[in-house]
Amino acid sequence: MDTTMDALTDVFRQVFDNPGISLTSETTANDVDGWDSLSHINLIMAIELRFNITFSQKEVFGFKNVGDMANCIRGKLPHAE
Amino acid sequence: METLINDGQYNIAHICTGQQCGAGRADKIAIRWISPTFERTDYSYQSLEKASNRVANLLENLGIRPGERVFTFLPKSPELIFIFLGILKIQAIAGIMFSSFGEDALLDRLGDSGACLLFTRKSYLRKIRSIWPQLPELKKVIVIDLPQDESNTILSYSKLLSQAGETYKVPLTSPETPSVLHYTSGSTGKPKGVQHVHRSILSQAGTFREILNVRDNDIFWCTADPGWVTGVSYGIVGPLSQGVTQIQYGGNFQAEAWFTILQDEKVNVWYSAPTALRMLMQEEADLYRNFDLAHLRDIFSVGEPLNPAVIDWSRQVLHKEIYDTWFQTETGTIMISNHPGLPIRPGSMGKPYQQIEAVILNEMGSVVADMEQGRLCLKAGWPSMFVTYLNRADQYGNKFNNGYYDTGDVAYRDHDGYFWFVGRSDDVINTSGHLVGPFEIESALLELDEVAEVGVIGAPDELMYEKVVAFIRLKPNLAWSRELELKLRLQVSNRVSTNATPQEFRIVDTIPKNKSGKIMRRVLKSWYTGQATGDISTLEE
Repeated sequence: MDTTMDALTDVFRQVFDNPGISLTSETTANDVDGWDSLSHINLIMAIELRFNITFSQKEVFGFKNVGDMANCIRGKLPHAE
Repeated sequence: METLINDGQYNIAHICTGQQCGAGRADKIAIRWISPTFERTDYSYQSLEKASNRVANLLENLGIRPGERVFTFLPKSPELIFIFLGILKIQAIAGIMFSSFGEDALLDRLGDSGACLLFTRKSYLRKIRSIWPQLPELKKVIVIDLPQDESNTILSYSKLLSQAGETYKVPLTSPETPSVLHYTSGSTGKPKGVQHVHRSILSQAGTFREILNVRDNDIFWCTADPGWVTGVSYGIVGPLSQGVTQIQYGGNFQAEAWFTILQDEKVNVWYSAPTALRMLMQEEADLYRNFDLAHLRDIFSVGEPLNPAVIDWSRQVLHKEIYDTWFQTETGTIMISNHPGLPIRPGSMGKPYQQIEAVILNEMGSVVADMEQGRLCLKAGWPSMFVTYLNRADQYGNKFNNGYYDTGDVAYRDHDGYFWFVGRSDDVINTSGHLVGPFEIESALLELDEVAEVGVIGAPDELMYEKVVAFIRLKPNLAWSRELELKLRLQVSNRVSTNATPQEFRIVDTIPKNKSGKIMRRVLKSWYTGQATGDISTLEE
């Protein structure tokens, strides 16, 4: 089971207040209602808190899709999946 | 020469569709829709006429009557434009809500307007369901991506459309017939419904031609969302009323995507916002060397004052001028502007449009001398002037004095007749071109158990012009944390709008209030800027 993606899905549902969100690696901002540059800041903060990590400025604005984001998160976790 | 108004027909949607077909533009591209994934779909004037006729018939089949309020809660899309035009064709009143709105913002607008019908999509339905019990006048919701009716009140758009014909005779519409209802935020209370009428077409068409300088065969692109007055007046009505081809893009801001559109679609006139232009400035200059913008003639900006630095950047990097324009939801169309043919004074609002008499008045209502600051006021009576604040006739009356509309902006006029914006005379926050009322944000934050008191202000910001700053007094024995900050941010984002989300929180021991309990935002602003607080004799002890 991909626990990072599951946890990430939880975060998205919380941030966008939408329990129906379902993520894949290919999901982009165009696929999620309300994912704009302002809500992206909320999303980043929520991910950092959930995974106890921090993103660099370059990382924050460099994710092309959710797969990119998940890979970056995995790379920062102490015990990669 | 083509006339805009024929046989007394002022109906905006008819002028934008059927009249264009009658003038020989049936096959001309009205809208080139570019999806977020860059798929293109062209809609001719004839297809726009038929699509909006079908919506008009759909509405009449449902028994919608002239003057009733019909709202949309949809992302930018071709369907949104078809629906908007269909509503106007039957002389109902159209209200467009931003797709980023949360439940509180939706409830305020749908409740105040008494909207009887709403168009939305499946993924937004959850928000509507949660507030519907508080909206007794909302009878039905039409869902554009629902293949079958879900119930007697949640209906399928495609099913209803299949029963609606492509021809529709638009009733003769007088200039005073109500058309569009835009909501705008104030410094106190809930957002106000700004009611416009069909005669606004005179200003929308005139300013589109004469200020934005758009010619018959130009490609025009207005990046504004239709939830904003600019997105209606210049993203729908202006270009369509003039038979011009326009671009609509469904994706979010992204520098490379936007420049690809400017280049590949051979855009001639581009209307955007200072925040977007400032974001483009932050990109590496190399990015722009890869694009050929030879077709782009003029760039216009609206929403917030345009910094001289942005004009300089455009001259150096894009080799184009950017003309700043000024108007408000209440004015409906551009009132004061820089434009081709008028030398730009970077940082100024420009000069009033030909029919507009703009003056700077002091508190006594007298015109002040050039270079002296005062309230920017406009002689009432221009065609796109709003006709009332819905359900708030008293507040409408208060906006006029001796035949002048008080814009609420503080400005001055220089010796050559250019106007210069100084600031707002109220507490409304202009963040990235969106007016946000502090009261709406405070109300949302006060719903949280952790918040004892809150005061919200706008503070200067290099990117957004103003950012939302929230001063918070927490309940006893609570400590500030990033988790709590996230909770507060999400509360505002999801209850009000992402645009209203505070970018900064300050935790304080008290929120300054006067003796009647009103939050003294002036004091909060001085705390924020570190400047003297001024007269605090009315401060609550």
